[in-house]
Amino acid sequence: MPPARFFLLSAFVVTLLNSVSALALPTHSVAVDFNREVRPILAQYCFKCHGMDDHSRKGELRLDLRDKALGNGKSGETAIVPGHPELSEVLKRILSQDKEEMMPPHSTKSLLPETAKATLKSWIAQGANYQLHWAYVPAIRRTPPSGESHPIDAFVRERLKKEALSPSPEADKLTLVRRVYLDLIGLPPTPKEADNFLANTAPDAYETLVDSLLASKHYGERWARRWLDLARYADTNGYEKDRPRTIWPYRDWVVEALNADLPFDQFSIKQLAGDLLPNPSPSDLIATGFHRNSMLNEEGGIDPLEYRFYAMTDRVRVTGTTWMGLTLHCAQCHTHKYDPILHTDYYSLMALLNNATEPTYAISSPEMVSREKAHAEKIAKLEAELPSHYPGGNEAMAARFSEWIGVESAKASHWSVLQPEGIQTNLPHVEAQTDGFLLGSGDITKSDTYTLRFRAAQKNVTAIRIEVASHPSLPNDGPGLTYYEGPLGGFFLSELQAFQNEQRIVFSRASASNDEEDDRINDAALKPNAKPSEKKAQAPSKKKNNASAAIDGEMSSGWQVLGGSSVYHTAVFQFEHPLDLSSGLELKMLFEKHFACSLGHFRVSFTTGEIPTATGHSAELEELLASGTSQPNNSKLLLRFLATVQEMKDAAAPLLAALKNPPRGQPTLIFQERPASNPRTTRLYHRGEYLQPRDEVPPAVPAFLPQLPKDASSSRLAFASWLFSPENPLTARVTVNRQWQAFFGRGLVSSLEDFGYQSDPPTHPELLDWLATELVREGWSMKKLHRLIVTSATYKQGSKITAEHLQKDPNNLLLARGARFRLDAEVIRDSALRAAGLLSAKMGGPGVYPPQPVSVTTEGTYGKVDWKTSTGEDRYRRSLYTFVKRTAPFAMATTFDAPTGEACLAKRDVSNSPLQALTLLNDAMFLEAAEALAKRIIGEAQSDEERLQALFRHCVTRPASPDEMTLLRAFLEKQRAQKLEGEVLWIAVARAALNLDEIITHP
Amino acid sequence: MITPNITRRHFFQDCGIGVGKVALASLLAQQTARAAGASEKIASSGTLFAPHHEPKAKAVIHLFMAGAPSQLELFDYKPMLAKYEGKPLPASVIGGQRYAFIRSDAAVLGPRFAFGKHGQCGAELSEMLPHLATVVDEIAIVKSCRTTQFNHAPAQIFMNTGFSQPGRPSMGSWITYGLGSEARDLPAFVVMSTGSGISGGAACWSSGFLPSLYSGTRFRNTGDPILNVSTPQGVDPRTQRDTIGLINAMNQRRLQLEGDSEIATRIANYEMAYRLQSSAPELMDLSQESPATLELYGCDPATPSFARACLLARRMVERGVRFINIYNEGWDAHSDVAGNVKKNTALTDRATAALIRDLKQRGMLENTLVVWGGEFGRTPMVEASVSLGRSQGRDHHPQAFTMWMAGGGIRGGTTYGATDEMGFNVVEDEVHVADLQATILHCLGIDHEQLTFRSAGLDFKLTGVEPCKVIKALLA
Repeated sequence: MPPARFFLLSAFVVTLLNSVSALALPTHSVAVDFNREVRPILAQYCFKCHGMDDHSRKGELRLDLRDKALGNGKSGETAIVPGHPELSEVLKRILSQDKEEMMPPHSTKSLLPETAKATLKSWIAQGANYQLHWAYVPAIRRTPPSGESHPIDAFVRERLKKEALSPSPEADKLTLVRRVYLDLIGLPPTPKEADNFLANTAPDAYETLVDSLLASKHYGERWARRWLDLARYADTNGYEKDRPRTIWPYRDWVVEALNADLPFDQFSIKQLAGDLLPNPSPSDLIATGFHRNSMLNEEGGIDPLEYRFYAMTDRVRVTGTTWMGLTLHCAQCHTHKYDPILHTDYYSLMALLNNATEPTYAISSPEMVSREKAHAEKIAKLEAELPSHYPGGNEAMAARFSEWIGVESAKASHWSVLQPEGIQTNLPHVEAQTDGFLLGSGDITKSDTYTLRFRAAQKNVTAIRIEVASHPSLPNDGPGLTYYEGPLGGFFLSELQAFQNEQRIVFSRASASNDEEDDRINDAALKPNAKPSEKKAQAPSKKKNNASAAIDGEMSSGWQVLGGSSVYHTAVFQFEHPLDLSSGLELKMLFEKHFACSLGHFRVSFTTGEIPTATGHSAELEELLASGTSQPNNSKLLLRFLATVQEMKDAAAPLLAALKNPPRGQPTLIFQERPASNPRTTRLYHRGEYLQPRDEVPPAVPAFLPQLPKDASSSRLAFASWLFSPENPLTARVTVNRQWQAFFGRGLVSSLEDFGYQSDPPTHPELLDWLATELVREGWSMKKLHRLIVTSATYKQGSKITAEHLQKDPNNLLLARGARFRLDAEVIRDSALRAAGLLSAKMGGPGVYPPQPVSVTTEGTYGKVDWKTSTGEDRYRRSLYTFVKRTAPFAMATTFDAPTGEACLAKRDVSNSPLQALTLLNDAMFLEAAEALAKRIIGEAQSDEERLQALFRHCVTRPASPDEMTLLRAFLEKQRAQKLEGEVLWIAVARAALNLDEIITHP
Repeated sequence: MITPNITRRHFFQDCGIGVGKVALASLLAQQTARAAGASEKIASSGTLFAPHHEPKAKAVIHLFMAGAPSQLELFDYKPMLAKYEGKPLPASVIGGQRYAFIRSDAAVLGPRFAFGKHGQCGAELSEMLPHLATVVDEIAIVKSCRTTQFNHAPAQIFMNTGFSQPGRPSMGSWITYGLGSEARDLPAFVVMSTGSGISGGAACWSSGFLPSLYSGTRFRNTGDPILNVSTPQGVDPRTQRDTIGLINAMNQRRLQLEGDSEIATRIANYEMAYRLQSSAPELMDLSQESPATLELYGCDPATPSFARACLLARRMVERGVRFINIYNEGWDAHSDVAGNVKKNTALTDRATAALIRDLKQRGMLENTLVVWGGEFGRTPMVEASVSLGRSQGRDHHPQAFTMWMAGGGIRGGTTYGATDEMGFNVVEDEVHVADLQATILHCLGIDHEQLTFRSAGLDFKLTGVEPCKVIKALLA
């Protein structure tokens, strides 16, 4: 029987069995708990050979399923006889001292502890009962216990009663207003906002406040930050080069979606598969940036497919953590050690996510349409005006034009497009288009070969021409496929070889229309922060990368074209002896460099002309010129003349610049399903190693979970929808648990990222399930869930820790008091800025650069960022908008445990360190806040008394108590005695206030 | 096994009722704990109540030669390369190895420098290492190192964390997690960069899934050595003292009301921060060093350099710092390997030897482990490229490279392992990165199999899941 059936068989039994004796409080019982005590032993010592992995099973015995464990193994003995340890072969073996017989086998050197043996013995004696794992069966909605009006309180207080603990009284109103502001919008209330709440004596004053906070645009900013920890959002690519990337539109999408209370199922489906929705909107596409937050290694010389593989393993891991609460990544190398996740499950799930290309999307918008129109008009205007700029006027122009036509006609040849009759590559997908151009897509490597076979009824062919042109489907518009490390959208043709009847054909000469172009923007010159002199020194001398270099037999040189819009170049390769193409022609194009550099959009033509050369004229114009039928009034020809001749260099520059820089929508990174003509296959990787791909695996969800609907396509969209299917036991639980943690500092399941066998059992299983079902019932509305939580008495309790708490429930697992924990880095910084009156309310846009010590970005990391400290409003934006540099993250954020964006994070560490004290005390930005705060209170009040109270209210919402006032006054007096006065004096007090434990702590 | 996500709160409770193992270590933990009145026994240790075995080393100085120095120009003399210079290696030798820049049929390049035998041990060293030659009897050279990574960032992260992708704890984090700190007023795990920048970035000294207080603390070359360790300009030192006094008095009052031991920890941390404000400048003040010492290292006290970092490292060890990373970036010799080695040995050889000599003369070498090496080796084949303007360079080579160790627990004058006559593959006593890590932990009294941390349901260790071994032959 497959494990899936086993786990789903008796959903009803499970909660009974699992009546969570598991809470980590001393509720000892003699009965052995399978989930907590037995399964870990079996998992650690037995499942490797007697678990669900068919490949590694020994002795035809599996112990993970009760009916199998009660049967006979290969030896014929019965492994487990319930109630009879003495008859159970398993026990005999684990107690045996015989090296041939003992289990685990002597050779494994894995010794089963005596306590584990005793546990197994008791368990068998008690009937060898198995339990289903609570998280793998659907949530069961119990009616909340009676006696409390709020369901959360009903569950929590029932439990408290059992443990003889009583809930704490409600926090005072100032604490409450501060808490709910910090939780819902990530900012403390201003004194005025707090007073407004105090002044509202309506019975529903609190609910009104909650609703207004849920409606605040700052709500989305607060909750986006938590989501971005999971999404491993950053503004750079990571690894050595760690160059900037543009994906902030995704960050802004998250903020907007949360503010709009986009139901969590849609919120998720759009991020996982927005591109696959019917008629996806620009915003659906932007949402798919979720999985583009993986890192991109641009270090010279990496194997791009290896790092794409790592990006995929990252995506599987993130998906498992974020939606499933499963440590899927443990099954990358082998079947999961504890959870029922097979090695193949891992790669099948990868296959569900693995069929996407990773383009940069130019966001389309109504505004773009008008910008494009304006651009077209501008170009038409520039073109129309061009003749009027000709030096010397119309007559001179006509004469020179006619002369030019003569010269160019002499150079031009008749070219005929060759349609390949065969295209072969090592990996990239190259497809012929109707216009004879070939379009490349799919994965590329550091050494790609295109083999093209042609045939034409034509003798005396003297040369071939390769036209390369931009195309909107390519990185940076092409014409190349280079997407990392090298010049984006460029290509590098290392060698071109021709064969006829398997005989090598020799090229005698080559030319390209960009042979004279400065090609020094390459490789070493791209080294970040290279000094100009260094760039020059490192750069290869001019014209190394020209068409001749593609036929010189030297792999490290070649023909290169840089990427961009409206790029069009040609290269002409002349045969030593004219060919008869009726015998066929095979071209091998090799693209090889330390980065992947293949060609994306090109066309091959032939000529019989005598002196074929690369002119760079479009095919149409070249034909005109070659045919000698060109008329002086041909406007296209005239334009080409005006745009290229030396004397028009300055006059034509605006036109050429405009052509090169068409208006583009704001770029952002997205996922886009690959075309049906080129699906990507996914394989299982032996030991999880990139260099050991094995059998292809079909896309599927883990076998132990409910399966995708039979009729569903095996796509990302089907998978994303499956996460939210009613049968899925994990998603809703994992989601509500994470929300709970945000408010209480601890999840009902403390391991937010792991709901598997090794997870911490829920403290309030029925509440968890009730909330999970409630979330679904309320249409996955996050705002409703948050409202539900913050309106509970459990949430509103005071957080004072009493002696009784310390004794009975030091970690507040039972929630007899409010939660007190240090605030997140971003909230700490934003709180200080808000207290100082500096915080900007501006939303969205590119990352900003608030002040931080210079050495953070100038020293120590290879891929430097130019941290141009923002001025004006951007200096004081919410921390959500601080530019996230992965290898050198914003120092203050790191000090307060913010993630670097290098990996998905479900729960931040909450540390308490001297470096945090140094930051709050001495960091220039906090000093700046103290100065502004000092000015503010000086402006707001006159007497010491009033100023101190104003200071206190700005920082911690409540007024200072008399004994606090005594301390503050004493400080003032002492500083005055030390000759501090005026603003300086008040800055000193403000600095102290910004350092209070209370200002950085969830009250 | 250790419970994850240990908080300070946990610590206070546990020591209150005298329960079991507590992970509290690293950054200034000792002082914090003392301030809060914790028992000395727990406070001075990390996760481990006692080392797994008798430690030889108390501290580690890892001289990380980032970019990967050429073993063929420094330690692993291969005259055969000269003989076959200009000819490619047989494909059977190359196997399926992928390279960063070169093609696998590139010709071999002979050693660029002369070698000679040195010390009583007679170890073979390049003429580019004249200073190291004078202390060669103190070091154990391992010529048979091997890694799995052939690009800088992943290889550096791998050398530090045992995994090629960011996210795992670094060696310094594991060690301070295990052993805690002996530094009175300084961080337990310090990182210094003396070159153009570290490819692996902050992932190289990250605490990964360990609590974040085990992260390495960067000592910087410009501005404050520890970020924000200076009182802001314009703030009177007395005011600074009074400010901290006020903060702590206010927090003390809050502690009485709330009963939250986190506040007690915060109070202790402000005291510690204040002490750091004087201990950091004291550490950096090299005027206390004799001219002879400065001369020995070749150190200009005013200028950040590898030499100054080495001298600072000695001073840190004296003050109880547990793990020090000094990065010297710049060994990535894709072109002109001879010039690269010349330049970098000029920057490092004298100070490296001085560090060994200085530790020795102060009686500190026997309990300070010094580790020298890069993230991989360099190819016996030449790197040259027309389009990149490169010639006479060497590409990345993960199959074989050289590292050395000295001091605490290491048998000096040892040469261990060997490569084939072309220096391509290890042919004797292969030492994988995990073996190096296991050996380093061993010198500190830690069994690498037993220093574990549970994250996402799995027990992780620095050395990973593949079998590895302590290299006994290197031990004193």
